[in-house]
Amino acid sequence: MQSKSAAPVIVFLCAILQVWILQFFSPIAHAQGTEQDISSGSLTLRDDQGRSIDAPRLHTAVRMQVSGIVARVEVSQSFHNDSDGWVEGLYAFPLPENSAVDTLRMQVGERIIVGEIREKAQAQKIFEQARAQGQRASVVHQQRPNLFRTAVANIGPGETIDVVIGYLQIVDQDAGRYSLRFPLTITPRYLPGVQTSDDSSTIADLMPRLAHANPQRQSVSIEADIDAGAPLEHVVSPYHPISVAKTEGGVRVQLRDQQSPPDRDFELSWTPVVSGEPAVALFREPTDQGEHVLLMFMPPQAAHPVSTPREVIFVIDTSGSMAGQSIEQARAALLNGLRTLQPADRFTVIQFNSVHEELFDEPVEASPRNLAHAYRYVNNLYATGGTEILPALLTALAMRESTEHLRQVVFITDAAVGNEDQLMMAIREQLGDARLFTVGIGSAPNGHFLRNAARAGRGTFTYIGSTNEVERKMGELLHKLTSPVLTDIELHWPAGIEPEYAPASIGDLYAGEPIVVTARLPAAAKGMLTISGRTSGNWTRQISLGGMQPRTGVAALWARNRIGDLMDARASGATEEATRSNVLPLALQYQLVSSYTSLVAVDRTPARPDGEPLSSRRLPNTKPNGLDWPAEGMPSTATPAELNFAIGALLLLAALGWHLRTRRLQERRPR
Amino acid sequence: MKARLAVVALAAIGVWQVGSGAYIHAKAWLAQQLIASAWARTIEGEHAAKPWPWADTWPVARLQVIDRDIDLYVLADASGRSLAFGPGYVSGSAPIGAGNTVIAGHRDTHFAFLRNLRPGDELEIQTTDGREWRFEVDETHIIDSRTERLQFDDAAATVTLLTCYPFDAIVPGGPLRYVAVADLRNRLPSH
Repeated sequence: MQSKSAAPVIVFLCAILQVWILQFFSPIAHAQGTEQDISSGSLTLRDDQGRSIDAPRLHTAVRMQVSGIVARVEVSQSFHNDSDGWVEGLYAFPLPENSAVDTLRMQVGERIIVGEIREKAQAQKIFEQARAQGQRASVVHQQRPNLFRTAVANIGPGETIDVVIGYLQIVDQDAGRYSLRFPLTITPRYLPGVQTSDDSSTIADLMPRLAHANPQRQSVSIEADIDAGAPLEHVVSPYHPISVAKTEGGVRVQLRDQQSPPDRDFELSWTPVVSGEPAVALFREPTDQGEHVLLMFMPPQAAHPVSTPREVIFVIDTSGSMAGQSIEQARAALLNGLRTLQPADRFTVIQFNSVHEELFDEPVEASPRNLAHAYRYVNNLYATGGTEILPALLTALAMRESTEHLRQVVFITDAAVGNEDQLMMAIREQLGDARLFTVGIGSAPNGHFLRNAARAGRGTFTYIGSTNEVERKMGELLHKLTSPVLTDIELHWPAGIEPEYAPASIGDLYAGEPIVVTARLPAAAKGMLTISGRTSGNWTRQISLGGMQPRTGVAALWARNRIGDLMDARASGATEEATRSNVLPLALQYQLVSSYTSLVAVDRTPARPDGEPLSSRRLPNTKPNGLDWPAEGMPSTATPAELNFAIGALLLLAALGWHLRTRRLQERRPR
Repeated sequence: MKARLAVVALAAIGVWQVGSGAYIHAKAWLAQQLIASAWARTIEGEHAAKPWPWADTWPVARLQVIDRDIDLYVLADASGRSLAFGPGYVSGSAPIGAGNTVIAGHRDTHFAFLRNLRPGDELEIQTTDGREWRFEVDETHIIDSRTERLQFDDAAATVTLLTCYPFDAIVPGGPLRYVAVADLRNRLPSH
């Protein structure tokens, strides 16, 4: 009896043993790993003489001053060198899309050096000269429209250098709620097999090729003063705990933890308490270049939802960068979108990573059976592979359109891609009558691309940063999807005034969205401005230009929008040289950082003595919160072969031992 | 009787375990031999030449470290299935010469040589168009995949070889990775 059951029991025990060894030892391996990381890890780097030097410690302090619909933000980056050598800090960081960066101040001890705007290559040359001569210097380059980098040279032992970067931004407004986003980290971008024309080689050496993030060495504090000109309610920061205090003109908001790790974007929203009147804001700034105006106007809302049935194509990103919380949010958003479909509507789902797949080849009716099929499909989506957006997008846009339905493409992604221009071109050329709605997912989606894509696609951009926001944000999106669109918006200025608008066209608007326009006028305007548009019927409003308030920054905001337009024109065929010759003078005139201009500050007093070496440190960005890394970029690269050998050897030894022992026993036993 | 059965069972499982380990190594070696002929076809212009009819991956580059007698074929992806046959190109990283190219391999088979790689060592990489590229190892270090990440975005032309760390750990699946970063030196003229 016993002998028969022995073999299977041993097999079973061995299987358990192997699983147990695997599971039991992994945590120990983890613990050891952490220790090794500290002693020999990548954060400790060596200088030319073989001494080890830490990368500078970095604290980022953000101060936002919101008045009405314009925010002035100052980002102060403190580079602290706690080594005993001279170092250079290199740091790549995101700023909100469409921020007009116009200020650089470098603070060394008591002294402040104000940066100047220069052509990009020239700025880099000035910086490199200063660096070689041992002078303290810093430079700010724009890498992509929402990606910047600073370099700070000659930070002495134990010294701190503050680099303050200032920008202006128009506050987002939607359905009466104002909001600001401040990106704090970058989701690494996927570049499909295409060359990007981006960037000159002179600053290629500033690119970190390996990012080593250590949250302990980077922290951020945020303070925002909001003066909305009216009492505020619902001051909300969905991703960070904040404290809110009343001030004279409004409220002051602070991060509760003023040493927060920069691992997720900061968002702040608030609602001014206003009476029923339509909101109008009109500001002006006269400069040598002319009169600049900023207009925000809330158009009248149509009460009735549209009755046309919809045909919705959901496109969902299941690439590796979506691994972790992002894919959960995306699934929740998609399920939410499916649940809002009416029986008369039609739909399909396309998922994409390195390849794409359609749930139904073309949109099908939203019957309970088709929907049940879709729910199952969506629940089984998981994130892996690359981000090949283009083929998926083309498939969605190429699907046969029905004349009775309103075609809407809902695109759910973190857009962690670098081939934005190529995608924009595809959207412009292939969209037809369809409308494109983008839904940004995760701790740090590529907001610049998603916003531009939605604008080109005559849709809207929705940002969802956490799973418990899905319900509300998707609800707002649905309201837009089913409300009438405001079209044919026109502005009529008093006779003789030829405005240069930026953005060049207002486009169509959805329920709750205000008209926001910046324009440059040849001279100050007086009289009445007439705004007209069309929803279910035509409407017209008149605004007196006499009530315009002066406000600094309006000119810079106009120039930033204009530069954005000129850069976007590349997607519709403008050559690189033409773009450069248009943007460069504008950026220099209005003192803005752009693809062709940078800010540079040099402290003329030499700091580093001759002969002392300077070592360069790249400062990494922290990993976006909730992103599962090993899933993408760092595959598991160990086989169980060693383990197999170890267990096998152990078992063979045991068998041998047992065999010898039984033989000895048998020999001793009397026959 | 029962004791002998138990001994035989123990020994059998021991052999099975050793065999599994040996199989992993044998597969790793044999696959590279098969991939060699697929690579020859790739250089002649065949697109995505499969090393065996049911393969779901194909070679995209040849990686040589002349001084260390290393000659490997890099596969199109870095999934667990492909890594058993050869080092894999990490999707999302740049194509060779256009940024940071990341190649991952098993620390105990193909990429076991990484532990001996030193700054100054030369890598030669041949791409599918037949061109050869020379890279020089610049630095090696250890990263923690839980908190750190590789930068793929517009870096200068580099190749990052990646494998698991520590090299001698018995149990697979730890969070540490060992990387060797090599800078582009020059491109050799194509044949």
